[in-house]
Amino acid sequence: MSLFGYLRSTILSKVVMAITGAVLVLYVIVHTAGNMLIFIGKDSLNSYSAFLHSLGPILWIIRAVLILSAILHIITSIKLKFENLAAKPSKYAVKNYLKAKLSSRTMIWTGIMILSFVVYHLLHFTFRTTNPQHYYPEFYQPHNAVSSIIIERFDVYRMVVLGFQNPLISIVYIVGVILVGFHLDHAIQSMFQTLGYNQKHYFPTIQKCSTTLAIIIVLCLVSIPISVLLGFIGGEI
Amino acid sequence: MKLTLHIWRQKNTNAKGHFETYIMDNVIEDMSFLEMLDVLNERLILEGKEPVAFDHDCREGICGACSLTINGIPHGPEKGTTTCQLHMRKFKDGDEIWIEPFRARAFPVIKDLIVDRSAFDRIIQAGGFISVNTGQAPEANSILVPKKNADTAMDAAQCIGCGACVAACPNGAAMLFVAAKVSHFAYLPQGQPERKLRVLKMVEQMQKDGFGNCSNYYECEAACPKQISVKFIALMNRDYLKASFSDEKSELIRNQLA
Ligand code: HEM
Ligand code: FES
Repeated sequence: MSLFGYLRSTILSKVVMAITGAVLVLYVIVHTAGNMLIFIGKDSLNSYSAFLHSLGPILWIIRAVLILSAILHIITSIKLKFENLAAKPSKYAVKNYLKAKLSSRTMIWTGIMILSFVVYHLLHFTFRTTNPQHYYPEFYQPHNAVSSIIIERFDVYRMVVLGFQNPLISIVYIVGVILVGFHLDHAIQSMFQTLGYNQKHYFPTIQKCSTTLAIIIVLCLVSIPISVLLGFIGGEI
Repeated sequence: MKLTLHIWRQKNTNAKGHFETYIMDNVIEDMSFLEMLDVLNERLILEGKEPVAFDHDCREGICGACSLTINGIPHGPEKGTTTCQLHMRKFKDGDEIWIEPFRARAFPVIKDLIVDRSAFDRIIQAGGFISVNTGQAPEANSILVPKKNADTAMDAAQCIGCGACVAACPNGAAMLFVAAKVSHFAYLPQGQPERKLRVLKMVEQMQKDGFGNCSNYYECEAACPKQISVKFIALMNRDYLKASFSDEKSELIRNQLA
């Protein structure tokens, strides 16, 4: 079976959606938690970033897994969507949805918008090409250093604050994050159902947790641009 | 009571369908939905017009022949009820009712509101047999079935194969139907010998017949007149995944190549 042989099976396609989705969800959770360090202060965020970059090959393994997951997730979702459209050639004149939520019915659209947001996000903060005037090094003296050595590292804090002080950039992030939340509202519980974990006593709880977790992620991430715009963080730079 | 019906009329599979509007003046609350259509058809026959074609058989909610998507919900607004068991007291005087066939690529319209659901028969055939001795009924206690498993198997076996799940699914997927059929044997000892082969073959046939994929909208469960739970789809996914890495799967591939 080739790498894409699973696409011939409806259930295996869904399993790949769920597993790659799970990888991306775990990443989003860890990434959100890491970003919260901005509220502790400049030093926490910049040390965390320097630590990630010091991982070297491990960082590249993590990136490879994420990129592979994203590619499989996107290819599979597009294949599923085309098949689904073909399987329902005529629509009802009147349709009353009973259980399908807006979030579940718009997965492909929120997905495509998330993809464009992720591309912009990478250009802005990872490849650092969109706002050259925001990218500065920081000269920093470790507290516990014996001699007075000065280390140069990238000033992530300043980049984030300067970026979000632009209301347009903040709005793009707020909208992007809300779209991720919408996608996750359906996605997290869907993953459990697809992978066969649906027991009478737990599944309603899983569904509630899915929505709650999506809301928590949105609130955490949205709080950063809002705090910068309101001047709660970043006044010192 | 007085009702306005918008009914889908289509001469045959290849014809283009359209809605026709009928005013019904004296609908009695105690009529079933199908009896209301019977009255309409008698009138149409007297007027020398073509009656509306719709499927029905037992009219007791057990055979799965009746269909109809009523105001966008397969089998209409009442939960856990087939169209034949839906009564006009669920509607109000002056209501407008949209009546459409079960729509999905795998269910082509034959005429008006009748669709061809023989894809379901092909899936059942693909499932094959279970290995039990024929002849006299066996001694009941020779194979023990835990009460809980028997109950769950019966929940799945409630499926009457009407196709409301496919009609309700925005993707025209048949996962709830196939899952019910797979599960009702998966919970019983008699279903074990062919368990893996059965799920592989039924899912394969389901795909061949042009049903869509599951997006976990859960519309099927909501529309099912027997209220079959989507937890059976989760069970089928689990079984299918296990079977995909089994000897049965390699054998199936070998047979297909041969
Ligand atoms: C941060 C990025 C993303 C995360 C965390 C994520 C997560 C998930 C998860 C967990 C699922 C549930 C899988 C299942 O149904 O079992 C899912 C479904 C889906 N995702 Fe994503 N996703 C992301 C990005 C995208 C992108 C970029 C696209 C499309 C271009 C996309 C399209 C879809 C679609 C269409 C589904 C539903 C598939 C179906 O049920 O038919 N997602 N996603
Ligand atoms: S006619 Fe038999 S179930 Fe409705």
